[in-house]
Amino acid sequence: MSENQHPVFNRAVIALAGNASDTRIVHLVAELARPIRAEIVAVHVVEVAWSQPLDADIAGRSEQVQQILDEAEATAEQSKVRLDPVLLQAREVGAALVDEAIERAADLLVLSLPYRKRFGGDFAIGRTIPYVLKNAPCAVWVVREPITEESS
Amino acid sequence: MTGGQRPVRGRKLADRRVRVNRPHSPYFRYTGPGQLVAKAAASGPTTPGGRFFARVRSLLFGRPLAFEEEAGERLPKKQALAIFSSDAISSSAYATEEILRVLIVAGSGAILVSIPIAIGISVLLAVVALSYRQVCRAYPNGGGAYAVAKENIGAVASLVAAAALLIDYVMTVAVSTASAIAQTYSVVPGLYDIRVEIAVVAIALITVANLRGLRESGNIFAVPTYLFLALALLMVAMGVFRIVTGTAVDVVQRDAVAFGTHDIGLFLLLKAFASGSVALTGTEAIANGVPAFKPPESRNASNTLVAMAILLGVLFLGMTVVADGFGILPSEEGGPTVVALVATVIFGAGSPLFYAFQSATALILFLAANTSFNAFPRLAALLAEDGYMPRQFSFRGDRLAFSWGIVLLATIAALLLALFEGDTHALIPLYSVGVFVVFTLSQGGMVRHWLAERSAGWVWRASINAVGAVLTFVVLVVVTSVKFLDGAWLVVILIPTLVAMMLFIHRQYARSARELAIRPDYVAGPPVREERVIVPVPGIDRAVIQAINVARTVASDVRAVFIFDDPARVDAVRADWERQIPGIPLVVIESPYRALAGPLIAYLDVLDQAWPPDHPSPVTFVVIPEYVAKSWWERLLYNQSARHLRRLLLGRPHTVVVNVPYRRDDPEAFDSPFRDKHSRPDGPPDAAAR
Repeated sequence: MSENQHPVFNRAVIALAGNASDTRIVHLVAELARPIRAEIVAVHVVEVAWSQPLDADIAGRSEQVQQILDEAEATAEQSKVRLDPVLLQAREVGAALVDEAIERAADLLVLSLPYRKRFGGDFAIGRTIPYVLKNAPCAVWVVREPITEESS
Repeated sequence: MTGGQRPVRGRKLADRRVRVNRPHSPYFRYTGPGQLVAKAAASGPTTPGGRFFARVRSLLFGRPLAFEEEAGERLPKKQALAIFSSDAISSSAYATEEILRVLIVAGSGAILVSIPIAIGISVLLAVVALSYRQVCRAYPNGGGAYAVAKENIGAVASLVAAAALLIDYVMTVAVSTASAIAQTYSVVPGLYDIRVEIAVVAIALITVANLRGLRESGNIFAVPTYLFLALALLMVAMGVFRIVTGTAVDVVQRDAVAFGTHDIGLFLLLKAFASGSVALTGTEAIANGVPAFKPPESRNASNTLVAMAILLGVLFLGMTVVADGFGILPSEEGGPTVVALVATVIFGAGSPLFYAFQSATALILFLAANTSFNAFPRLAALLAEDGYMPRQFSFRGDRLAFSWGIVLLATIAALLLALFEGDTHALIPLYSVGVFVVFTLSQGGMVRHWLAERSAGWVWRASINAVGAVLTFVVLVVVTSVKFLDGAWLVVILIPTLVAMMLFIHRQYARSARELAIRPDYVAGPPVREERVIVPVPGIDRAVIQAINVARTVASDVRAVFIFDDPARVDAVRADWERQIPGIPLVVIESPYRALAGPLIAYLDVLDQAWPPDHPSPVTFVVIPEYVAKSWWERLLYNQSARHLRRLLLGRPHTVVVNVPYRRDDPEAFDSPFRDKHSRPDGPPDAAAR
């Protein structure tokens, strides 16, 4: 890809974490997708504890969870791009994201990395990003939010 | 809202995931806990007929817009001048002619007086513009005469201003359209005979454009406005040059209005002044639209106002001088307009510049009509919000336009044009009165504003507005008196009528608001009245069973009332009722006069009277079984009695009417085949048939 060209992807899966970074990555991907008419799928995964059945009625009942996807949809609409919102329940967020990206033949998976310095200044990168980086067959972008005084 | 869930296998055996359905997603969007925003699909039609109608509407008016899609355009001065000045500047296309039409009755010598009259009107224009500059500075949020009068003088004065403005906007549409059509048939005389039809079609097109949500988009206005300005200034300059160099020759007109033999007296001069003062219409538009300017809004608006006044003054005075210099006179009915004659003389008949100028004049006049389509609905919405007009006027249509106001304006303007046969000169006398009422109240309000505020330079500012108020009031008196018999009487009657109507509406809304108001410390407690349910039944059928089931969920005191005129059916109905609907008492009322609603209402009255007087009257639910009609012709066949009963019960104290519709495509509620010899399962049920 030349530096002057738009990144080319046909279908991007955006992983929504339910935090402030969601708007940033949806806006970013939507703006990139618009000129090339690429599809966007926004996925939010609700992790279900092993103590509960996988199909327990958790995510469907939560207005907060629905709001995460609805806000992503609204952000994409502001960029005049249609976004397909997907709500999942799974044991492992990373595995669910990778499987969904494969099933939808996505060629890009985008995740956000909230900047949280804990215990002496390391990133709290969690389990999901390393899993996706290791297992996703498509391109993966990890977008770190800007470092501000508050976040550090 | 929960959704059904479907498990999906992943690449690895353990990596299963469940895709959660989101049934709300096509229709709503969550914006907070318990807070939803409806999407366009939620307002979409559900029936095939409704969908077809929506498609037609969408083709005609465009797709529905959400509030967030409203354009918040800020205008630079050049675009603002084009947008807000089209009304004022376009009046130079007919103001000179209106003066000449009055003076011509006093012979050829009187025509010369047109120039001093035009100078007088230009001085008045300068004073009004200076006064409105103060409004721009004092009201950066838009100082319409209604707002200024409301804040500084009082409610009635503001309503007078509002009524005058509403009339002014209607007249702007009518006069500008009539004048635009006159420019057209000045070029193509054959169009004169169909001028009213053209005018109505033009208004219809402007209406559709505004219902589609046409905004005061800069470029749409800029091209014709600046084209008109350029060509009109060029025409005036060329005309003045020829007059100054002595090359101007009097035009020979075949269809000119014949000179009259009246004496030129004060009345005629005042009448000519009053007719020409129509040039001032639209001057207030910039003061109304200050928030649309780019910052610093007030300064930009007041500078634009000055530019507009200078341009209007130059054009109006210039056209009058040129018309006078070339001896141009108004034409007989159906002939070319004075401005068209000036263009013919200066640019040459049939020249490209002549056609360009005539086209630009017609276009700017249509745009002037369009400005009222923005202003009238906004003022009507403002009045509706203040409770002086029906609330519908504040509702926005699919395209964010105030549809009610747009349609009302178009209807009245089209009717006026048809009534006055598209004659600009016949309409003019109705025009100026409202405009000068608005000027006077606005300037008077500003004087009180400065007196109350006493900010730096208030004496000077108040003086300017006071001069403006006095001068416009004098002109108002002149215009009203000299044009009273020509049609101004109509406006004199109309303004107080509109004010009375608005006060009446306000009183009605205020009364209903008082009746509906609750104290701030009121907390709703449990119901204090008992409930009972009456189900009027025509026999036993599925609709009746469903209504009885609904009634049981409302209260324990449920009774069915069977009103009959055929005693032969009663025993059989009662026997079946007790067998099939046990526990619900059936009251049987014989109606030898065959009335249904009357005996039922009388029965309800009797029940109320029998209620212990020391107990609060109970709430009576009248549950009416209905059969859902699938098409329009079925609606004619069924539920007529139910509708009649509902109408009669509406407004009865402590009575709630509940319609329980039975849908025949939902028969699984009745597990076993329904057998009843008193109803006709294969045909329309009794409930519906009655």
